[in-house]
Amino acid sequence: MMVNLYPLKELKLPIVAECINPDIFQGKKPAEIEKLEVWEGNKQKKLGELFKAEIAETEDASENTVVVIHGDISRVKRIGAGMKNGEIIIKGDAGMHLGEEMKGGKIAVYGNVLGWAGSMMKGGTIEIHGNAGDYLGAPYRGSTEGMKGGKIIVHGNVGREAGAHMHKGIVKIYGCAGQFAGFRMHGGTIYVQKDCEARTGACMVEGTIVVSGRIESVMPSFTIEGVKKKVKIEEGEVVETPFYLFLGDLTENGRGKLYVAKDKNPHLSHYEKYL
Amino acid sequence: MELLIRNGFVYDPVNGVNGEKMDIAIKNGKIVEKVNERRAKKIDASGMVVMPGGVDIHSHIAGGKVNSGRLLRPEDHFKDFERKTVTTRSGVGYSIPSTFTTGYRYARMGWTTVMDPAMPPLEAKHTHEELSDTPIIDKASYPLLGDWWFVLEYLKNGQIEECARHVAWMITATKGYAIKLVNPGGLEAWGFGRNVNSIDDPVPNFGITPREIIRGLCKVNKLLNLPHTIHVHTNNLGKPGNYVTALETMECVEDLADGDKPVIHITHCQFCAFKGDDWRTFESGAEEIANYVNAHSHVTMDMGQVIFTDTTTMTADGPFQYILYTLSGNKWVNHDVETETSAGIVPFHYRRKSFVHATQWSIALELALLIKDPWKILMTTDHPNGGPFIAYPRIIAWLMSRKAREATLKKINPKARSRSLLPSIDRELSFYEIAIVTRAGQAKALGLKNKGHLGVGADADIAIYGFNPEEMEPSKKYKAVRRAFKRAAYTIKGGQVVVKDGEVLKHMDGATMWLDVQLCEPCEIELNEDMKRRFKEYWTVGYENYPVTEDYLAVSHPITVKADV
Amino acid sequence: MPVVKAVTCPVCGSLCDDIELTIENGRIVKVKNGCAMCEAKFLGYCCEHRVLKPMIRKDGELVKTSLKEAIRRAAEILAEANYPVLYGWSNTSCEATSVGIELAEEVGGVIDNTSVVCHGPSILSIQDVGIPSCTLGQIRHRADLIVYWGSNPWSAHPRHIERYTSFSEGRFEKSAWRGYVTKIKALVGRKKIQSAIKRLVLKKPSQISTHLEPTFVSPIMRKGRKLIVIDVRRTKTAEMADFFVQVEPNKDYELLQAFRALIRDQELAVDKVAGVPVEYLEDVADAMVSCDFGALFFGLGLTMSGAKLRNIDAALSLVRDLNMRTKFIIMPMRGHFNVTGANTVSTWQTGYPYAVDFSLGYPRYNPGETSVVDVLLRKESDAALIVASDPVSNFPHKAAEHLAENPLIVIDPHMNVTAQMADVLIPSAFVGIEAAGTAYRMDHVPIPLKKVVNPPRGILPDEEILRRILAEIRKIKKKQEAA
Repeated sequence: MMVNLYPLKELKLPIVAECINPDIFQGKKPAEIEKLEVWEGNKQKKLGELFKAEIAETEDASENTVVVIHGDISRVKRIGAGMKNGEIIIKGDAGMHLGEEMKGGKIAVYGNVLGWAGSMMKGGTIEIHGNAGDYLGAPYRGSTEGMKGGKIIVHGNVGREAGAHMHKGIVKIYGCAGQFAGFRMHGGTIYVQKDCEARTGACMVEGTIVVSGRIESVMPSFTIEGVKKKVKIEEGEVVETPFYLFLGDLTENGRGKLYVAKDKNPHLSHYEKYL
Repeated sequence: MELLIRNGFVYDPVNGVNGEKMDIAIKNGKIVEKVNERRAKKIDASGMVVMPGGVDIHSHIAGGKVNSGRLLRPEDHFKDFERKTVTTRSGVGYSIPSTFTTGYRYARMGWTTVMDPAMPPLEAKHTHEELSDTPIIDKASYPLLGDWWFVLEYLKNGQIEECARHVAWMITATKGYAIKLVNPGGLEAWGFGRNVNSIDDPVPNFGITPREIIRGLCKVNKLLNLPHTIHVHTNNLGKPGNYVTALETMECVEDLADGDKPVIHITHCQFCAFKGDDWRTFESGAEEIANYVNAHSHVTMDMGQVIFTDTTTMTADGPFQYILYTLSGNKWVNHDVETETSAGIVPFHYRRKSFVHATQWSIALELALLIKDPWKILMTTDHPNGGPFIAYPRIIAWLMSRKAREATLKKINPKARSRSLLPSIDRELSFYEIAIVTRAGQAKALGLKNKGHLGVGADADIAIYGFNPEEMEPSKKYKAVRRAFKRAAYTIKGGQVVVKDGEVLKHMDGATMWLDVQLCEPCEIELNEDMKRRFKEYWTVGYENYPVTEDYLAVSHPITVKADV
Repeated sequence: MPVVKAVTCPVCGSLCDDIELTIENGRIVKVKNGCAMCEAKFLGYCCEHRVLKPMIRKDGELVKTSLKEAIRRAAEILAEANYPVLYGWSNTSCEATSVGIELAEEVGGVIDNTSVVCHGPSILSIQDVGIPSCTLGQIRHRADLIVYWGSNPWSAHPRHIERYTSFSEGRFEKSAWRGYVTKIKALVGRKKIQSAIKRLVLKKPSQISTHLEPTFVSPIMRKGRKLIVIDVRRTKTAEMADFFVQVEPNKDYELLQAFRALIRDQELAVDKVAGVPVEYLEDVADAMVSCDFGALFFGLGLTMSGAKLRNIDAALSLVRDLNMRTKFIIMPMRGHFNVTGANTVSTWQTGYPYAVDFSLGYPRYNPGETSVVDVLLRKESDAALIVASDPVSNFPHKAAEHLAENPLIVIDPHMNVTAQMADVLIPSAFVGIEAAGTAYRMDHVPIPLKKVVNPPRGILPDEEILRRILAEIRKIKKKQEAA
C-alpha cells in the first residue's frame, strides 16, 4: 500500500504529527487517515485539515506500507516517531524529531532535516539526502539513552553533537560534521567523510569515530596510539588511506577510537614524536 | 454543606471500628453525629471500603531539593504528563511530579495529608511556596535542625533550655512542624567533605557526638511538648551493617521515654536495616530491628519501601548521596546550606535482578510484617527515595497478600530470594491494619488529633475505595486491591468531594499546618542583640529577611503548642 | 526621615539584603551599603524614560489609552493566538512569574525566561552531569580556594567578593583582604622597580608571558584563601588573583578537559593547552586538589563561548571529579536579580526551568525547539508578551525582527527598545522598589523584596496586570464557548 500526502497550504505554525507513521496508516482508507489527530500550534486538528491523503495501490503485493510526502514539511515534528515497519519518503524538507525512537523500517528524505532526527533510535534506517540539524541520533535532554541500533546516513552536513551518547548502530556523514560529534559515545560507529569541527569524541568511553577529512583539533585528553593503513567502517566499506589512531577520552578513562586521516591533517604531525 | 456517606464498610481504628457497615455524616468540613438526611448530599458507599483520608508521614514533595531533582531530570518527566483540564492545571509526573500534579495524584489515591520531611531553614520560604502550590492535600514540613550550629553549640555547652528556646523560635520562624535530624553531625562534617561513622564519632570542629545531638534534641522535643517526636534519619544510612547504628540510635533515647509514649521516630527504616560487612555479604537486619521494636514502646518508624522502578533519590544526607553517586555513576547534585544542613540528589534505578535492590525490597516488607504492632511501623516509600508515592497501592497489596508477595518474589534476584525472610512469613494485613499503617497510625505518630480517624469532630477527610470485603478476599484478589487504591471511588477533603472514580473534580487549596510554639516566658530571641550578631556571622541573609511570614502560606493553619520552658 | 533597613537590592543575582534606604517625600534620597549599580537603580529608577500611561498602537503610532482598554486588547491578542510566546520574567517577582505560567497554560503558549540567553545552556549541562553546589554562606565560612572562570565579579557582581568569597569573614576562613592589600603594595613596588630598571639600564625588563605575570607573588606571601581567575582577558578581578590563567578565546573546553585529566594524574601528550603551558596548568591543578574547600564560579564568558553548553559540562565534571580528592563546589554567576527565581517557579509548576511549551495543553521542554529565540528564528510565533525585559535589543537580529512583526504586548516600567515596538504597552511598578515579592539568589536562597515607595498613580505591579489579563482572557473564552 502506498499513501501519498500533499500539504494543503504553506505550513507556518509548528505541527506535531506523530500519526504520520506507516504502522498507523496501514490498512486505513484515505478518509480514515485524514481523521487522525495532529496539533497545529495550540489547536488540535485533523490530519486532513493540513494534508490531502491519497492511496495508490502498488503492484508490490507485500504488506509494506509506504508513505510519500510531497512538499516542504519542515514545520512538522515527530514524523515516523516510534515506527516499526514500512517506509516514509519525504520529497522536501522535514521537521524536528524525525524517526524519534524508531525501531524499524526506513525513512528517506530528499531534502534537509532539522534537529533530533533519529533521536533515541533503536533500529531501522534513516537516509537524508540533504543536511541534518543538531543532535542527530542524540537522546532527549538529561537522558543518556542515545542510539541503540539502526543506521543513519546523511549525504550533506550535520550540526552539533551528532551521535551523542550513542551505544550501538552506525551514523555515516558524507559531508562535514559540527562540534562534539560522538560526544559521550559508548559504542557504535560514526563516519565523517569530510571535515570535522573541534571536540570530536569528547568524553567518549568506547566506540569508533572515523574522520576522512580535516579535523579542526584533537582534544588534549586523547593519546596517540599509532598509524593504521586502512579502516573498516562497516561490512563492505573500507577506507584505504593512512589514519592516525587516537584513544580517549582520558577524562572518562575511555578507550574510544578516533581515526583521523593522516594526509588531510598535517597539523597533527607533531603527535608522531610520541610514536 | 452537609454530606452523608451511606452504608460503607468503615475502617476507623482510632475509634475501634472494624469494617462495620455504617453511615458517616459531615457538616462544615467536620465529621458530625448526624445531618439532616433530606438536605444532605448523599454518597452511596455500599459495597465499598470507607477509611479516613490517607496520611503520609514522610514524603519529599516540596522545597529546594525536590525542585533541583525536577530540574535535573527532564528525561524523568517528559513521557509522564497531565494535560490541563477545565478544572485542573497541567503538569508532569513520574518520580518527582510538579506541584499541582503531586496534589492531584495523592488525592486520586485517597490521601489527604502529606508531610514534607526535610526543610532547610534558610530555604523554608521555598518549601512553603511549593506547598502552597500543592493543591487539595493538607501538609506540613519538618525543619532540619540536627546540624544547625546553634543546636550544636548549645548542646555542647549543656544548655538544653536555651537550645529549646532557639529551636522553638526556629520552628515558628520557618513555619515548621517537627524536629528533623538527618545523619546528625555528619552533615556538618560534610561541609568539609567528611562524615561521622557512628553515633559516638565526634563532629569535627564542634566537639560533640551524634549521640549527644540525638539525646539533646529528644529532650528539647519533650520540653517543647511538640506533637510529633524527633524525626530521625540515622547515621550511616545506606551502608551495610548499619542496623547496629539504628539499634544504637533507638537505645540511646530509651531512658527518655515516659510510659508508652514514643520519643523517637526512625524514618525509612529499610535504609538502616542492612546487615553484612560489605555489598557482597549484604543481608537483611529486619529481624534484629523488629525484635527490638517489639520489645520497646518508645519508637515509631516508617518503612521506606523500595519499588522496582527508575526514581530519584534525594536526602539531606549529603555524604550518603555522594556514595550513591560513586556507586551508580549517575548524575549528582549536592547542595550544602550554610550553618544548617546539606542535600544531595542522585537518579537511581532499582532493579529486580539486582541482589542488593531485591534484598532492600524484601527488608522493608519484613519490617512491616515482623513488627507486630502496626501502630509502630507506617507505610512509606520515603518518596521518591524508595520509589514514587504512586506505588502505594502495590505496597498495600504486598502487605495484604502473601500471594502478591510470592508473585514478586518469583521475579527477583535468586540469591536475594533465597535469603529473603518473606517466604517464612504468613502474616497478611487486614483492611483494619492497612487503615492503621496508612492513616490512623501516621496521624497518631504525628499527633494530629483531627486527622486519621472518623470520630465526631475530626476533619472530614475521607477516602472511599471500590472493594467489597464481603465478596472478595483481599489476600486472593490482590490485583483488585491495587486497582481500588490506585483510583479512589471518592476522596473527600474538608467535607468536599474532590475526586470521583479517580478523577479530580476540583482544584482547591489545602492548608499548611505549623506549630506556633509558645514559651512559658515570652522569649526575646527575635530582638536579642546576641542573636542579631550571630545572625550576621552565621548567615548571609539578614535576620529581618529570614523568617517565613504567614503570607507565604496559601492557607495557614497554626497549631498552638505550650512549651515547658 | 524614615530609613528602611534590610532592603533587598533588585539588581544582580547576589541579592544583597542589607541595603538601607532613606526616604523623603515618597522618594529614595540616600542608599547605604549598596554598590554603584545598586545606588544607580534605587536613585535613578524614576527617570525620564518611565512610561506612565498605558499605550496602544493606532495607525502605526503609540497613543495613550486606559488601563482597561490596554488589558482588553492584550487579552484579545493572546486569546486569538495560535502560538504565542511569553518572555522575560527575570526582573520581576516569583509571584508574577507564577501568574505568567498560568497565563501561558491558558493560552497554549511558550513561556521562556532570559536564562535562554544567559545560563540556559548551563542548565542543559546540569541536566546531563548534575551540580555539586551550596549556598554562598558555606563558601564564606569554609572556602580556602575561589575560582572565577569567565566571570568578572568586580564589575558585574560588585559585592560578591566582599560578601561571599575572598574578602568575606567566615567561621573557618578569614577575609583575604589584608593579604590582597599587601600584594597590591608589592605589585606597585615591583612596577616601580621595573620602571626604575628600565630608566637606568635603558633596556626592557625580560618579558614574562602574560598568564604568568603577577601570579607568583602571593602563594608564598600568604596563607588563607587563594583566588584563581581564568579568563580571556586580564580583568579587574584578575588583578587580585593568586593565579591568573589567560585562556585562548574559545578554548575553555580544552582547558577544562586538560584540568580533568591532570587531577586524575594523567599525562597529557601536548605541551600547551589553550595557549597555556602544561607545567603551569599542573601548578593550578595542584592548588585545586590541595585546598580544603574550593569554589568555582563561572560566568557568561564560559557559557557563551566556544563549546558553549559543553564548557559547563566539562566544568561541572571537573568539580565533581575534584570531590574525589577534596571538597569542591561550583555555581553559575546569575545576572538578573531573579532569573534564578524564574527558573525555580517554572520548575516546580511545570517540571522544567525555562523554554516551556504549553501548546499541546501540557508542559513540554526542549531548548533548541521550545526556546523563544529558536521559535522566533523559525518565525513560528504569532503573538508575543514581554514582561520586564528588552529582547529586541539583545536577541539575534532575525529573532528580534520576527518578534516585532508579531502583535506585541509589553509590560515594563521603561520605554525600552522593545516597548517602542509594542502594540500594547502597559507600564508597571518596579519590583523590589514599588512592589513587594520574592526573588531567589544565585544559590537558590529565597529572599523577600520590599515595597519601599509607592508607584506613580495608576501603575500596577506585573503580578496584578497579568492577573487582570488572565481574567479577561477567561472571559473571552467563556463568551466563545457560549457562542
